Amino acid sequence: MYDTFIGLEIHIQLLTKTKVFCGCSNNYGDEPNTNVCPVCLGYPGTLPVLNTDALFMAYQVVGALKCKRAEAAIFERKNYFYPDMPKNYQISQFADPVGINGEVIFPFQGEEHRVRIHDVHLEEDAGKMIHAGDMSLLDYNRAGTPLLEIVTEPDLRSGEETEAFLRYFRTLVRTIGVSRGNMEEGNLRCDANISINTHGAGLGTKVELKNINSSRFVRLALEYEKERQIGIVEAGGSVDQETRLWNENKDITVVMRRKEESKDYRYFPEPDLPPYRPGEDFFRRVEESLPELPLDRQKRMEAAFSLTDEQASYLCEEKARADYFEAAVAAGSEAQHLYFWMSGDLAALVNKSGTPLEESRLSPEKLATVLRLLDNGAIHGPIAKKMVALLFEEEHDPEGLIAERGWKALDDTSKILPIVKKAVDANPSAAEQLKQGETKVLGFFMGQVMKETGGRADPETAKALITSYVKGEIV
Amino acid sequence: MSDAALFGWSSTAEYCTYLDENDKKVGAFLSRTGADEFQSALERSRSEASDRSPLRGMPFAVKDNIAVKGLPLSCGSKMLETLSSPYSATAVEKLQQAGAVVVGKTNLDEFGMGSSCDNSALGTTHNPWDVARVAGGSSGGSAAAVAAGMVPFALGSDTGGSIRQPAAFCGTYGLKPSYGVVSRFGLVAYASSLETIGIISLDAQLLRTVFDIMRGQDPKDQSSRPFSPQASEKRQGEKPRIGVITDIEGLAPAMESAYRERLDLIRKKGYEIVEIELPMLEYVVPAYYTIASAEASANLARYAGIRYGHRTDWADEHSELTEKSRDEGFGDEVKLRILLGTYVLRSGFKDQYYLRAQKIRTLLRNEILSAFQKVDQILSPVFPTAAFPHGDAGLDQFQQKLADKFTATANLAAIPALAFPAGQSEGLPFGLQLLGPEFSEHKLIDTASEFTELWEPKTAPGFREWR
Repeated sequence: MYDTFIGLEIHIQLLTKTKVFCGCSNNYGDEPNTNVCPVCLGYPGTLPVLNTDALFMAYQVVGALKCKRAEAAIFERKNYFYPDMPKNYQISQFADPVGINGEVIFPFQGEEHRVRIHDVHLEEDAGKMIHAGDMSLLDYNRAGTPLLEIVTEPDLRSGEETEAFLRYFRTLVRTIGVSRGNMEEGNLRCDANISINTHGAGLGTKVELKNINSSRFVRLALEYEKERQIGIVEAGGSVDQETRLWNENKDITVVMRRKEESKDYRYFPEPDLPPYRPGEDFFRRVEESLPELPLDRQKRMEAAFSLTDEQASYLCEEKARADYFEAAVAAGSEAQHLYFWMSGDLAALVNKSGTPLEESRLSPEKLATVLRLLDNGAIHGPIAKKMVALLFEEEHDPEGLIAERGWKALDDTSKILPIVKKAVDANPSAAEQLKQGETKVLGFFMGQVMKETGGRADPETAKALITSYVKGEIV
Repeated sequence: MSDAALFGWSSTAEYCTYLDENDKKVGAFLSRTGADEFQSALERSRSEASDRSPLRGMPFAVKDNIAVKGLPLSCGSKMLETLSSPYSATAVEKLQQAGAVVVGKTNLDEFGMGSSCDNSALGTTHNPWDVARVAGGSSGGSAAAVAAGMVPFALGSDTGGSIRQPAAFCGTYGLKPSYGVVSRFGLVAYASSLETIGIISLDAQLLRTVFDIMRGQDPKDQSSRPFSPQASEKRQGEKPRIGVITDIEGLAPAMESAYRERLDLIRKKGYEIVEIELPMLEYVVPAYYTIASAEASANLARYAGIRYGHRTDWADEHSELTEKSRDEGFGDEVKLRILLGTYVLRSGFKDQYYLRAQKIRTLLRNEILSAFQKVDQILSPVFPTAAFPHGDAGLDQFQQKLADKFTATANLAAIPALAFPAGQSEGLPFGLQLLGPEFSEHKLIDTASEFTELWEPKTAPGFREWR
C-alpha cells in the first residue's frame, strides 16, 4: 500500500595517475600533505589545468551508462566555505554535465531492473580533516583528486534492491577500469534520498541519508528509514524534509540537519577553464575503450558455457575473473569443472594470499593443463590441489612438476595394498570401528594412506582396499 | 661583464643608491630585491641569457600581485603581507630567461581594486610629477617606478584599466594585451575573465620587445591563446583609419580641450578620423563592476586564514577563524566588492545582475567588433581627469568607478588597448588610448609611436634616461 522511492548520488574516485587540475599524484594513502602543490592548495595566482585522462574516464562512464554526452566539458564554480576546500569553491559542473539521461540495467532476484541516470558530472574532491583532541588537522592529499558524481532518478524501491544496484554499479566501474569502486576504502561514496507515499500518489517528502560507507549499511539504513517513514504516516503524522545519518552502532538513522538549509552555491562559469572540446578522435577512443558491460557478458557466458545465473554472476563480478575464465576455456577446460576450481580452491588461494588471480603465476593456460592432467588420470585430486597451490606462487611447468616431484598418480594395487595394511595394522581399534560400520573412520585411514603416498594414491582404489582389508576380504 | 653594462650606470651600487633615494620620494616599491641577490641575478643573467637578448641584464619591476619565486606577493593587502611566493608567474619566468632581472615588487591598490594606489594597505605611492598627487591605480607603483626612471619597464595587471590609467597619470605607455595572449599563471586573481598582465614603459620599442617575449600560449593557463596577428594585418603599410568616440561627456575641461587639440594635430598629419558611436559604452561601468565583483567574491574566498596569509590570533571555530581573519586582513574596498559579488550571484538575483551583465558584455563586444569593420583603431581618452590629489581633495571612490568607462571597455571586449603619452596639460601628463581588434598590439604600438612624435612628451622631474 506504500511506494518507496530511492535515488542515489554516487561519487567515485577516478583512477587517474594525477589530480584533475594539477600534476600532483593521485595516490591514496601517502603521507599527509605530500601530494600537494601551489595549484591544488589554491595558492594566489595559480590556475587549474584540466587532466584529460580524468575527462576520458568521465566519458567512459557516460558511455557505459548510455547517457547523452556533452560535446564540450564546461566547468562552473560551486561556492561554499569548507576548511578542507583550498579555494573555498569547488570546480564542478552544473548546467552542462558531461552526461545526462542515461540508464543502468542490473540483475536483481533473477530479473533485470532499470535505474535511470539523471546526470554524470566531473569535479574535484576536497581534502580531509582529522580531528585530534582539541586540534583539527588538515590533509590536502585528496584535495583536487578527480571525482565523478552520478545522480540517479528515484527508481529504486527497497534497500535490498539498492544494495544489488550498488554492487552491480561497483562491478561496472571496475570493469571499465575507472575506479576501485570500494565503499569501505571511500573511493565509492554514496548519499541516498528516500521517500514513501501511498501507492500511486507519487513521490513523498524526501529524507537525505548521508555518509553511508558500506553497501550493507545502504540496505540497512534504507530499510530502517522506509519503516520509520511509514510508521510516521501510519500514525497520522508527516515526514519532515531533513538530512539524516546512519548510526552503525545502533542500526538507526539519526537527524543531522533538521530543516534543509537553503544552500546557495552561487554557481557561475569557471573563467579559468574555457569549454574543452575533446573532438571526434577522443570520443572514438572512448567508445573503442569500453568493454562489454557486466550484465551483457553474464548473459552471454550463461548461454555459451551453460552456466547458471549465479555462476555467471560470480565470474562477471570482476572483469579479470571473467577474462581468466574465458581464457582457460579457450585453453581447453570444461566450463563446469573450471568454475568449480575457480570458485573453490582458487578463490581460497586468492583470499589467503591477497594476490589477485590475474597477478598470480598461475596462468589460465597452466590451470587448463592441470585440469587436463586431472581429467586423464595422470594426477589425482589431492595432487592437483597441491599443484595449483604451488603454481599460484611459483613459476613451474605443470607437466615437468609431475616427474620432478614424483606426483604421478598411483593406482597399482600391489603398491597401495602394503601401505593400507600397515595403516590398518597400526590402528586396530580404528579398524574395529570401521568394521562395525563407522564410516567416518574411513577418512582417517585415507588420510594415513595419502600421507604415506604423498597424495598420489588413487582415492577409489585406496578406499576399496581399506574396506576390503578391514573386513578381511583380502589378506 | 662589468657593472658598467647596466644600461648607463657606472655600477650596480650606483643604481641601487639611485633607486633608494628616488623611492623615498615616490614610494613605488613595496619590497626590493636585496643588493646581493640583485647582483648575483645580474651575473646569472649575463652568463645564461643570450648576448643577443635586448633584455640581458635589464632591471624591471613587478606589480606585487604577480608572483616571483621567493619574493613577497602581498597584493597590497594586510591579508598577504607575510606571503612569500613559492613559484613564479610564467610571464616573469620568460623575461628572466631573456635575461631581465627583477629589482622589486611595486605598490598597488589592494588586490588590484582601485584607481589611485591609495587603496594599498601597505604603502603610499606618489606621482613622480607631483608628489601631492596619486600615481593612479591599481598598477600605480609600476607606473611611478617607470615614470621616475627607476626601471626601464615594469609589469602591471589590467582588469578595468589598471595599467592604462596610472600610465596616463604618470605619462608613460601602458599596454593591456588581448585577453589570454599573456599567460595569467602567477597573476593573483581578482576578476579572471577580465584581467591580463601587461607592460608599462617609456619606450615604445622596449614595450614591443617585452610583449613579444611574454606572450604565447601557456600550458599552465588554459585561457591563454596563441598570438595570431594575421587577423589585424590587412591594411599593411597604410595609415590606420582612426575611429573616435564622440560621446566624451564627463571629461574635465582641461582634458577635453587637450583631447580635441590632439585630434586636430592627428588629423592635420593626414590620418583619416572617423567619428563612431558606441551606445553600449553607457553600460560598461555597471557591467564591469558586476562581473568583476562576482568573480572577485569567488577568487578571494581562499583567504581564510588557514593555509597562508593573515590569521587571526584566536578563534573558537572555523567560521569565526574565517570571519575574523578576513575582517582583519581585508580593506574596505575589498570587502565591498566581495559583498557586491556575493549579492549579484545570489539565487533569485543572478538573472537580474550577473547574467544581464554578461549579456551587456556580449553586446558591447559585438558593437566594438563591428566598429572595427569601419575603422582600424579607436582613439579615446583614458580617464576623465589628470592625476588627482591624495585624500579627500581627490575623486571619491564612486567617481573613480564611474570614470572607468573608457578603459573597462577593452577588458569586457577582450581586445588590446594601449595608453600613450599625449603631452602635458596644466603641468601634468596627459594620456590617450588606442583600442584595436584582437592581436593588433604591434599596430597599436606603431600608431602610438607615430602620434607621440607629433608632440613632445616630457619626463617627470628627477627622471634619468636609460641607455
